[in-house]
Amino acid sequence: MGQANVGKSAFFNRLTGAKVAESNYPGTTVDFTKGHMLFQGEYVDLIDVPGTFSLQPKDKAEEVAVKMLGEEKEALVICIIDASKVERGLYLALEIIEKGYPVIIALNMWDMAKSVNVKVDTEKLEQILGVPVVPTVATRGEGFKELVSRMGQAAPVTIEEIIRSVGNSSRTHH
Amino acid sequence: MEKKLSEMGYEEEGIVIKILGGLRYKIAGMGIRKGKGIKMMTKQPIKGPVVVTVDRSNTSIGLGLADKILVQVKK
Repeated sequence: MGQANVGKSAFFNRLTGAKVAESNYPGTTVDFTKGHMLFQGEYVDLIDVPGTFSLQPKDKAEEVAVKMLGEEKEALVICIIDASKVERGLYLALEIIEKGYPVIIALNMWDMAKSVNVKVDTEKLEQILGVPVVPTVATRGEGFKELVSRMGQAAPVTIEEIIRSVGNSSRTHH
Repeated sequence: MEKKLSEMGYEEEGIVIKILGGLRYKIAGMGIRKGKGIKMMTKQPIKGPVVVTVDRSNTSIGLGLADKILVQVKK
């Protein structure tokens, strides 16, 4: 899951080998797509959902995404964030974590962020959130090996734990 | 100077100081919160939406919403 135009569908295509329409416009995906990917030796379902700002849906496409998350109680969530707009994306990531889903965060468009001089301390972010954080470039497949190999490490975290670790580490600005 | 977001002019920049009503959560997902820098990019005539830049991303906001965001404008 992720906000609009962060590369969810490009991700989906990479992981499943499918060819879902992707374009450089927010809101390309308005319905969900199911596919399969190989994870730890077996095929598992992977669902591509429309982008949403938050878990309080404001339109039909967002509703689809939020409803889907509600129905898939056992899901592991790959939360995709635009690496150059981390703060904005963390809001949704935290909402999903708060719901109790195991989450892995992909900081996508890592190359774009680099080119506009945005640096993100992924280790620190990982420490604070307690979930795996992996930089990726979905269009070129960078970071996907690491992403898939670390999906098993995604485990539910409570917001209280995150608040505690935010308190422990000095605030970093990016 | 303090202004409503809806009253800001083109290219004017400021910092969000207050969000009225229960809108705080509605717009948090768009990256707008208290203390955040904001820049007016485009205004549409006849009560149309405004486009602002927050953290390098452009977001369009309805005028009703923009009326409820107070901004400390840079001189």
